[in-house]
Order: sequence, then C-alpha cells, then structure tokens
Amino acid sequence: MSHELIALTMFSSMMLLLLTGQRVFAAIGFVGAAAGLLLWGDGGAEMAFSASMKLMKWYPLLTLPLFVYMGYMLSESGIAEDLYKMFHVWMGPVNGGLALGTIGLMVVISAMNGLSVAGLAIGASIALPELLRRGYDKRMVTGVVQAGSTLGILVPPSVVLVLYGMIARQPIGHLWLAGVFPGLLMAGLFVAYVAIRCWLRPELGPALPAVERQMSWGEKLRLLKAGIIPLVIFFLMTGLFLMGITSLVESSAIGAASATVAALIRRRLTFEVLHATVRKTLHVSCMFMWIIMAALCFGAVFDGLGAVKSIEWLFLKQWNMTPWEVLIMMQVSYLILGMFLDDTAMLVIVAPLYLPLVASLGFDLIWYGVLYTITCQIAYMTPPFGYNLFLMRAMAPKEITLMDIYRSIVPFVFVMILAMIIIMLFPQIALWLPNYYYGR
Amino acid sequence: MPKAVRLYVKYVDAVSWAVGLFAMYLIFAMMGILLYASLSKAFTIPPVWSLEMAQFVMAAYYLLGGANSLQEGAHVRMDLLYGEWTPRTRAKVDALTAIFLFFYLGLLLYGGISSTQYALQYNEQSYSAWAPYMAPIKIVMTIGIFLMLLQAISMLFKDLAAARGETL
Repeated sequence: MSHELIALTMFSSMMLLLLTGQRVFAAIGFVGAAAGLLLWGDGGAEMAFSASMKLMKWYPLLTLPLFVYMGYMLSESGIAEDLYKMFHVWMGPVNGGLALGTIGLMVVISAMNGLSVAGLAIGASIALPELLRRGYDKRMVTGVVQAGSTLGILVPPSVVLVLYGMIARQPIGHLWLAGVFPGLLMAGLFVAYVAIRCWLRPELGPALPAVERQMSWGEKLRLLKAGIIPLVIFFLMTGLFLMGITSLVESSAIGAASATVAALIRRRLTFEVLHATVRKTLHVSCMFMWIIMAALCFGAVFDGLGAVKSIEWLFLKQWNMTPWEVLIMMQVSYLILGMFLDDTAMLVIVAPLYLPLVASLGFDLIWYGVLYTITCQIAYMTPPFGYNLFLMRAMAPKEITLMDIYRSIVPFVFVMILAMIIIMLFPQIALWLPNYYYGR
Repeated sequence: MPKAVRLYVKYVDAVSWAVGLFAMYLIFAMMGILLYASLSKAFTIPPVWSLEMAQFVMAAYYLLGGANSLQEGAHVRMDLLYGEWTPRTRAKVDALTAIFLFFYLGLLLYGGISSTQYALQYNEQSYSAWAPYMAPIKIVMTIGIFLMLLQAISMLFKDLAAARGETL
C-alpha cells in the first residue's frame, strides 16, 4: 500500500469507529496503536505509551485541569449572579437588552477562564431561565449563550491557544494577546446582530418595563461593584503572566486559587460544592487528556507516514493552488472535520500536518492560531459533534428542544465566519496588540 | 450473570471509585506546588523540582482518574447514531466495540510495563537539574492504566447484562 492510501485508511477507519458511538479516545487510540503495531515493527507496540510520556513533557497542559476547576468554581461562586444583575439593570431599557447584557457577561467570564465550560454553565443556569421568563425568543437566546460562551477560548486566557502554542512552537503570551481584539470584534458582531434583529422585531427581545428600572443612580452605581472581583482575578492571572512575573502554569494555579477564595468570601464554598467541583473537574480533564493522549499516538504514526509532504504535494503541485487558496482550503477542511471530530483531537492530528505548510507559505503562525481558534469555536457548536452542544443539551431548561439548539446556532455560525474572514483580510486586528506589547 | 462476575464488578467498581476519589483531590496538590513555586520565586530562588513534580502529579491525576471517569460515563462519544438507539442496542454495540478499547488499553499497558522495567533496570533519571528517578511515576501511570483495563472489563460485563435485559 502507498503511504497516502494508508493515511486514508487510518482516517476513514477512525471515522467509522467514531460512528459506532465507542468512546472517542478509544476509537482514535485503537487506530493509532494498531497502525503503529502493523507499520512500525520494532518499538511499534510501545507507541501508545510513549504518547503518555510525551504528554507529560507538555507541561503547559497543566493549565487544563486548573482552568476546568476554575470554571466550575466561578460558576458556583455567585460572581456571575452579581454580574448578570449589573448588566441586567444597565442594559435593560434597550430592546433585546438582556441578550446584549448576556453577551457582556460572557466576555467578562471569558476574560477569567480559558474554556467554554464556565460560560456555558453560567449562561444556561443563570441567564437562560431569566431571558425565557421575560419572553425573549428562545432560539435567539440559546444561540447567544452558545456562541457567547465560545469566546472563552478566544479571549485570553485560552486553553486552545495553549495547546496550539505547543504544537506550533509559538509563545503563549503572543497568542493570548492576539486573541484580544478578534474576541472583542466577534463579541461586537454578536451585539450588532442581536441589536439589529431586536430593533427590527422588538417582540424577540422586549425591553424591561419602566417599573422594574426605577432605581436610583446610587443603586445603579453600586451594582458596578460586581465588576471588581473579576477585574482582580483577571489581573492576578492574566495580568501577572503578561507582565512576566508568573509563568503560564503558575498563573493558572493562581487563577484557580483566586476563584476558590472568591467563593469563600461570598460564603458559597461548602464541602458539597467543593467536592462536586473537583469531581466534575476530574471527569472533564480525564476526558480531554485521554483524547489528547490517543491523538498523539495517532498523530505520531500519521506523521511518520510523511503525510506532511503528501499534503504539500497535493495542494501545491497536484492542485496548483495559490497560498491563499491553500489557507482557505485548510479552514474549510477544519470546519468540516470539526463537525464530526473532537476538535482537541483534530488539533493534535491535523495541525502538525498543516503548520509546516502554513509557515513555508509565509503566513504568520500567531495569526493562524487565532484563525484556528475561531474554527474551533464553530466546531464547538456545530452538530453532530460539539462540546457546547453536548453541554447545552444537558443543561438547557426543558422548553428548549434539541431542534431549538440546532437551529439557534445557524446565524451565529455565519457571524463567526464573517469575523474569521475579516481577520483573514486584516491580520493586524490580531497582530497589532502582541507586536505593540512585545515590541516586535 | 454468574456470581463471580457480580463480585468482580462490585469490587472493581469500588476500587475505581476510591482511586478516583484520591485522584480528584490531587488537583489541590498541583495547585499547591505551583503556588509555592510562584511565591518562592517572588522572595527567594524558585525550587528546581516544582515544575517536574507538578507534571508527575498531572500524569497521576488523569491516569488514576481514568477508571473513575470511565465508570461514570464521562468520556465523550460521537452520538450521531448512538444517541438515537435504545439503551439495549447501545449496550449491545458497546459490548461489541469494547474490543477496540481493550486493544488500545492492552497496548498502553504493555508499553507501560516495558517502560517501567527499563526505568527500574537502568535507574532511569530525568534529564533535568533535579534529575528525579522515573520509575515511581511510571509505576503509578501503569497502575492507572491497569485499573482502566479492569474497569473496562467491568463495563463490558455491565453491557452484556444490559444486552440481555438484566442489571448487575
């Protein structure tokens, strides 16, 4: 068999196995380990385990369990309720104001956490019931929560960018800063979309009645206090890291500890809460780590087949593509793969194949990391395989059906693709801040 | 189902649960090590062992916790078709495809054991200033993988029972 054929066989058998509903890590790990055994001969049997040793050396991944922990702790800490109340009162008078406030809430949560779990948990438990009670269109608000929570992986801190940074060998600080403006741009586009829709059809998001808004300016200003704790957490974690005082993994530990302290101060930290948090953290972290471990084994075999050269040959020689066409082709393939494949596994398997080509075509790898993260965000929401989708199904209030969840994301996916196109055309949106800060 | 199977499932589940409980709280060990490192960096020189120690705890964390998360169904599946099936069909398919899971875990275990043997035989040390021995963490990792395999067998028994309409 030629190498291309083997690579293709590996990929399609993995897809087939995934379809049987076997656990994702087992499907990927089986194909990787079996191919290693068949193709490698000596040492092929050890490939599965050596992936776990490689994973151990990827120490920045220590941030993963700590960010997961922090996300669950934040959603238990009650900070979000206060923040939501603040946005609620300040944004209430506008049509669709609460939905806009929810986007604001998501941006703040994203700035404190590197995954979308925290935003989704908070959105589904605090924002959604309130929005539905006030007669907001359920599809629109479900989409707002789903799309808004994915900002968690674009706005720093971001675990996806940490993982990308390890594969692409790019500095995490640059990557995080590169995510700032694209994240804000995307949030701005969400706001514009919701505001325009609610302006055209006010019944989708009725403004708060005047009675509820009667509040003195003193009280209104006092609500802004809710923003203090998030600012402190942001400074301790991301701030100190960017200033070069703490290392990446240390900053994630500080973030996790500060979320615990915040819960303690607000008297929400009972033993039950703590235990539930560490339990959920273990489960989510194990799920990700086992998938990454399996994908590393798969990727090592794939890489050994010379798939990098094959892809380069296919794109450049066979199809005669220009650099930009190659880039667009890559993004499209990510979007399609991301629907069916776990995006962490996708990053570990596919990114090493694409990255050398991206670099040799003269594109900036920091900028490409941001583009990749946006495709990840889309992959989180698009059926049949998406983390936000799974979480939403588990957490959404009863009146939201599966069909609502599926249909709610459509406009937001288009908005995200629009954001991606804007950033493709104007790389400076991503690159200006890191270049300015690090003086490159 | 025979009594031996019931007993197996009962004990393996209990061990997975207990080890999982231990693993869960390792997150505080990770947090503690890293916080200590950042604090000591602020005042004196940072310890040479902190980062590697945190890595070791991390490896123990997800490998020892694997069995518990398997037990509680935390490993995601693609549910395009799976989600539509009845619990009984799911159990049947799972019992069938468990072979892939066993194969992978078996190879992991094989690799773990041979790597541990190597580490013990040659007193393997890590290439770092601290240069810790690698055997202890490799033993812990291999135990975690072994437990995962035991738990996967327990899941298979449960699936077989469910496929026949029984519960264990």
